[in-house]
Amino acid sequence: MDYSSMTERISLKVSAKGHEADTAKIEGKLRRLIEEFGVPPQEAERTVLNELARDLSIPDLGSGPGTAAGEEKQLRQLSSGDWATIEAKVVSLSSSFSSAISQTGILADSTGAMRFVVWAKANAPRLSVGSWYRFESVVVDEYKGSPNLKVHSGTTIKEIASETPLIPESIPIRDLTPGIGSVRAKFIQEWEVSHDRMLQSGLLGDESGTAKFVIWKEEGKERLVPGTVYSIYYALVDEYQGRISLNLTTATVLPEEGDIPVSGGEGVFAGALVHVAPGSGLIKRCPVEGCNRVLSRQNYCPVHEIQPGFLYDLRIKGWLDNGRETREILVQREVTEQLTGISLHEAKELAENNPLGMDEVFLRVRERILGRYLTCRGREMDQRILVSECGFLHFDPAEIPGLLNRAGGSS
Amino acid sequence: MATPERPSFARREGTFEREPARRVFAAELRETRIHFREGDDEKSPTYVLLPTGERCNRVFLVGTLTEKKKQGEQNMFYRARVVDPTGTFFVMAGSYQPEAMQQIARIDPPAFVAVVGKPNVYETPDGATLISIRCESVTAVDKETRDRWVLDCGLATLDRIDSMASTQYGERAQKEYRTDPAVFRKMVFEALSQLRL
Repeated sequence: MDYSSMTERISLKVSAKGHEADTAKIEGKLRRLIEEFGVPPQEAERTVLNELARDLSIPDLGSGPGTAAGEEKQLRQLSSGDWATIEAKVVSLSSSFSSAISQTGILADSTGAMRFVVWAKANAPRLSVGSWYRFESVVVDEYKGSPNLKVHSGTTIKEIASETPLIPESIPIRDLTPGIGSVRAKFIQEWEVSHDRMLQSGLLGDESGTAKFVIWKEEGKERLVPGTVYSIYYALVDEYQGRISLNLTTATVLPEEGDIPVSGGEGVFAGALVHVAPGSGLIKRCPVEGCNRVLSRQNYCPVHEIQPGFLYDLRIKGWLDNGRETREILVQREVTEQLTGISLHEAKELAENNPLGMDEVFLRVRERILGRYLTCRGREMDQRILVSECGFLHFDPAEIPGLLNRAGGSS
Repeated sequence: MATPERPSFARREGTFEREPARRVFAAELRETRIHFREGDDEKSPTYVLLPTGERCNRVFLVGTLTEKKKQGEQNMFYRARVVDPTGTFFVMAGSYQPEAMQQIARIDPPAFVAVVGKPNVYETPDGATLISIRCESVTAVDKETRDRWVLDCGLATLDRIDSMASTQYGERAQKEYRTDPAVFRKMVFEALSQLRL
């Protein structure tokens, strides 16, 4: 871990107050907190700064309830724990569900963008979308892993005139990090919405990869059209279990002409099937329109409860392994039928006429594919492939001579 | 599909990365003695160090089940021998691997089987080291799958030998085992030669 930038920030703040900063000591303290005690870097920086402020009797250093407005900064320079003065444009406002929050949305300047929240107690003037403001003494903290600007009762807000045109820079999907992001991407897959308040969800892709998106129901929000390329400005970027997802509810979304290549989506992987997971074979799905969830043995859907009118389906969930890497594969009905030689109809009959029921189908599917070499093609997300094509890999004696040469060649 | 080499302990935060199943011949696994834990958590994965230079938490092998034996009364378990062109794997499945135990129970030797399992190093009271595989699954397969595995395992072993000088575990294996690459090349050569018979 590199401590130099953190150390420099702290020592600059200290020396700005006319005190000598011992960088080695600062770095030592940071290192100790982060490496020995597992303190998150931002928290460590704040701790060290506060400690120095106490030792040197500098009242308004660090994040204590000081009176200073903080130095004038641009959005990109801000990190959690900073107090600062900024000039920025309100590019989006969203509704808030908490009465403690008066307004929330996204601020942008020429260097970047950031979420902000105005506390109800701040008694701040109402901000409007498209206007520039000067915020004196705002504080930055972290919310769900991304920086968040807070307007509190000590913040002064002045509307300013600015003609600076803001054109957010689109970045590849693969490079998105939690916070605010702008992308140019194609709507490649529409998913069933999983919540009443959800307007639309699905998959966006560009050349670098794919990401899930969601739009929540809000007045004036319109659904996107699958297959269309969009320029998306100021989307909220979240990370959950290592996966990036975009919330477009408050983003500016502009349809574009033409098409872009989406390469991240499709993948091929070959290896041995080393695990067939429970939930493979014959399964029952919820018949409620648009649900399709897998039912438990008791025909229980997590959302629609008991569903005796279930629909049968056939699938394989498992792990493919080439000895160096692994992929989780999800194989839909048609490919499962072709791979195992068991049709959905036969599987149903098997389950209905066998004392083991659906387990019998699972066992037979497993016997036919576990430990076999397969090659799978399909849409790839992280470690998972939604398989659209799959076949057994065969033994080819023509591969032997080359390997024999390699083995015998240099001995 | 090669990905850049990551530090051994780097697991992307929040994501689960399944340990790959290494392809290793019986003759190489027999020489394996070094085992270690990566990370200081009690739940951190344990590995054995293969003599050709790779850490290994799981193996995938295909060979011939030649013998199986049920042991124990209350804690019943199976011991089985699985043979590849270079030697014998000692495989076991206990009550913590009920699926694998039931699978072994249904297979009559001799039969080609695909085994997925975790290698364990034991020391006997007289100081010898034994390595056995605690299996996750044992499936009856055909000869073609066995032949495909011998090729796959030969290729993987040659790849490990050829990159020994440049990888962390390759260097470690050279230090710990004083691995002679020629011995393992010969092993691969002989295993592949048997495919032509």
